[in-house]
Amino acid sequence: MKLIKVKGKHVVLSLVCLVLGFMIAFSYHFTQKELNKNKTSLTSEQWEKTLDLRNQLIELEELNRKLQKELNQKQDKVLENEKDLSKEAEAYSTLAEDAEKFRMFLGKVKVKGQGVSVQLSDGAYDPHEDNINNYLVHEHHVFKVVNELYISGASAIAINGQRLTSHSYIICNGPVITVDGIQHPAPFVITAIGDPEVLTAALNLTGGVKDQLVNDNIVFTLEEKSEIILNPILGQS
Amino acid sequence: MWLPVLGLIVGILLGLLTDIRIPEEYSNYLSIAVLAALDTLFGGIRAHLQNIYDEKVFVSGFFFNIILAASLAFLGVHLGVDLYLAAVFAFGVRLFQNIAVIRRILLTKWSTNKEKIEKN
Repeated sequence: MKLIKVKGKHVVLSLVCLVLGFMIAFSYHFTQKELNKNKTSLTSEQWEKTLDLRNQLIELEELNRKLQKELNQKQDKVLENEKDLSKEAEAYSTLAEDAEKFRMFLGKVKVKGQGVSVQLSDGAYDPHEDNINNYLVHEHHVFKVVNELYISGASAIAINGQRLTSHSYIICNGPVITVDGIQHPAPFVITAIGDPEVLTAALNLTGGVKDQLVNDNIVFTLEEKSEIILNPILGQS
Repeated sequence: MWLPVLGLIVGILLGLLTDIRIPEEYSNYLSIAVLAALDTLFGGIRAHLQNIYDEKVFVSGFFFNIILAASLAFLGVHLGVDLYLAAVFAFGVRLFQNIAVIRRILLTKWSTNKEKIEKN
């Protein structure tokens, strides 16, 4: 009787234990599954974090777009400025070219080009002619040649290698002529840069400079040159 | 003595092996039922140690408490009141009290045993 009673008690206990074990294990199992499920899906914290990050991203993108717009505007401005600058540079370069050209005309720099060379020499001594002035080269002869050359388009002229400028003067000073204060003896070599054909034609004009000079007993030698180099005027501002 | 242990093991195995799917909203009932079961178990152990153990009270209390806790939670869900919190609270407090009593009883028993040994 006692044995059965003890056994019955144990059976009941074991039943209780079975139920308890089952419930605990099932609950554990269930919770574990829930946890696994939650791991795959987002928890609220993660979701909030994601949302926060997304908002930040959106904000940054908006900022980016704004900055991009600003950048574009600035780039446009830069482009405009560059255009202006290039225009200015162009103007400057043309100015520089002009300055160079003017300097050439003024005789401040060395110039080079094709042109003609005219040599004026005193005529040979003629015993029938008692006036020596009749076969000497005078300054007006030189003037004539120089003027003729300028008129026919010479861009630079030198007498015996000395450049003439817009305010040069030539005076007759006895046996020599003075160009800008520097004496030059005969023969005078007048070199001019310009179109040689035009210059030659102008000088050889019938009744022109050459004929007049030859009439004055002056030896006139005309030469076409493919390259003439004229040095700048020294010692002058 | 081995029979309850065997029952526990079989129960755990069954719980782990069964793959019954229950809706998520019933997980509250399950947890409260587990709590009730644990509470009753510790209550039974305490009663046993205090020599006032009654099998009928224990067994009936075990099942009745489980069902009551689950139904309380069920009622709470349907009333919109978190009644299962009350159950959790009550069972939790009682669980701690029971465990404290068990500990004290075991301590006194252990100390008296030690004294006895020393006396001998």
